[in-house]
Amino acid sequence: MSTLVRKGNLFSQPGRDGQYPILTVENLSAWYGELQALFDVGFSVNTGEVVSVIGANGAGKSTLLRSITGMMNRGKTAKIEGRIDCQGRRLDKLRTEKIVETGVTMVPEGRMLFQRMTVSENLLVGAHLPRAREMAPEKLEEIFAFFPRLSERKNQPVSQMSGGEQQMVAIGRALMSQPSVILFDELSLGLAPIIVDDIYEKVRQINQSGVTCLVIEQDMRRALDVADYVLVMLEGRIVLDGRPEELSVDAITDAYFGTHEAGGHA
Amino acid sequence: MSDLPFEEAVYWTLIDLANAFLTGTFIGGYYAILSMGLALSFGVMRLVNLAHGEFLIVGAYLSAVILQILPIPPFFVLIVVVPIMFGIGYALQRFLLNHVSVQAMERRGMSANFGLMAPILVTFGLGIFISHLLFAIFATDAMSIKNSLAFSAIRLSMDLSISTLRFIFFLVAIAMLILLQVFLRYSATGRAIRAASDNPTYAALMGIRTDHIFAIALGISLAISGVAGFMIGMTRTFQPFDGPQFILVAFGVVIIGGMNSITGSLVGGILLGIVQVLAGTYFGPSAQLVGGYMLVLAVLAFFREGLFSR
Ligand SMILES: Nc1ncnc2c1ncn2[C@@H]1O[C@H](COP(=O)(O)OP(=O)(O)OP(=O)(O)O)[C@@H](O)[C@H]1O
Ligand SMILES: [Mg+2]
Repeated sequence: MSTLVRKGNLFSQPGRDGQYPILTVENLSAWYGELQALFDVGFSVNTGEVVSVIGANGAGKSTLLRSITGMMNRGKTAKIEGRIDCQGRRLDKLRTEKIVETGVTMVPEGRMLFQRMTVSENLLVGAHLPRAREMAPEKLEEIFAFFPRLSERKNQPVSQMSGGEQQMVAIGRALMSQPSVILFDELSLGLAPIIVDDIYEKVRQINQSGVTCLVIEQDMRRALDVADYVLVMLEGRIVLDGRPEELSVDAITDAYFGTHEAGGHA
Repeated sequence: MSDLPFEEAVYWTLIDLANAFLTGTFIGGYYAILSMGLALSFGVMRLVNLAHGEFLIVGAYLSAVILQILPIPPFFVLIVVVPIMFGIGYALQRFLLNHVSVQAMERRGMSANFGLMAPILVTFGLGIFISHLLFAIFATDAMSIKNSLAFSAIRLSMDLSISTLRFIFFLVAIAMLILLQVFLRYSATGRAIRAASDNPTYAALMGIRTDHIFAIALGISLAISGVAGFMIGMTRTFQPFDGPQFILVAFGVVIIGGMNSITGSLVGGILLGIVQVLAGTYFGPSAQLVGGYMLVLAVLAFFREGLFSR
């Protein structure tokens, strides 16, 4: 089924399935100095969906999320070109702190918690935005109800917690900002399969509560399980996309490893 | 000594010790305020502010000049000095230091060690600029803040007394320390300061404007230096080029207490104060400074990061 492999930029016209997209990426290219990490990437995410991005190490998945959240604009060496829109606002020229105001946030690769702060403090920092700050106490209780393990460890420094617990803090911190879109980067990294199951169950619940999710995942099965739509990245490009039920495992594997040109059918 | 009866000799030895500990402790409060701003800016922004001493002197001049114009009780001058110093610190960080900060250097791909150098050089230059600016305005006439408390003392017993001003400064130091800790721990801005200090990139992901937050941090640092400058003026005379002698004290204190620890600056201040007074009591006035710096060296040798460093 290697004929299903298509090259990037399919969705420059918003409105896949006639639905209203909450997030649109068009002709996105990204560089770290001389090194180009993304080539003309385009896709859209419809409101309320879970879209999974899969791809091998170095495919450019994290770079894609960093581009959306404005982190490629912070340094002097990294830069992006192209267009990113979310809920009617153009993100690609905004600074990170403005982008999160529009309702996008990220659970970053490696969690990136504030190491010298407690669980509660990390969560409260997540509610720094004016729109979230007023509701912070109620929201905090919600998060503790959602992750009971965290409520037992409220005042513990996050540096003393297990990887799974830290991941919960990272997710809770993102939820505290009351986002409409969350970008999840490799939630399963370094965690035991049982814990990953739990975490993905939480992602599903978050999605059901109305939050649109873009999920980056190396584990193909999990990515397909959770997704309404799948993008496969290879060397900085989207090489395959579709609904999980439309895509064959062979096609995805070929796209993932870049073996489609070699034929694939042995 | 040998002429004294035994009981009396013991009594005087104890009085000397008690005096050294009391005086040292209360001087420690003053030292803590001299250094707190330095510890804060290093703790939050990894900024080694070599102009710190000059900012103390700016605070002293500001207090003295305002008090010459306004006939108010000395302590009330802080109501004006603290906001002005905050404004200077805010603007300085926002429009100058943010562009040469360790964080800015790291964003440009430099290593932290190398990045540390840029702000050091800039603040070194700034310190020289400030002292010459003060010199241009005030020449070298020694100034001080006239006040009725300067020579008053609180008597604890026949032979034990402490300076009233030092006692007040000590209370102020403790109050400021508690206030600052509560602010950093329980206010949204305080948490934002700590988050931005921990990881500016991901603080931005929380919607924190790190440029603004760092500017607030240096604003607070200079506001504290304003209080310290006022205290310098209350207790002694000062001149435009006095900055370096105060930054030496401040560095001594933060090295003892821990470069990034605000609580450490109180403990460091008290230890330095006690050791200085003890050295002065037993080995004469010239031993005071030497004793202090020997303590600094000892801490460096045995606790590289200071006693309270995180
Ligand atoms: N900070 C950086 N500086 C220079 N090059 C970078 C940087 N971060 C990533 N790259 C390069 O950009 C490309 C894409 O990296 P990216 O982190 O986006 O991949 P990824 O798909 O997230 O991989 P992984 O699954 O390992 O997380 C890689 O070739 C990588 O080496
Ligand atoms: Mg990655």
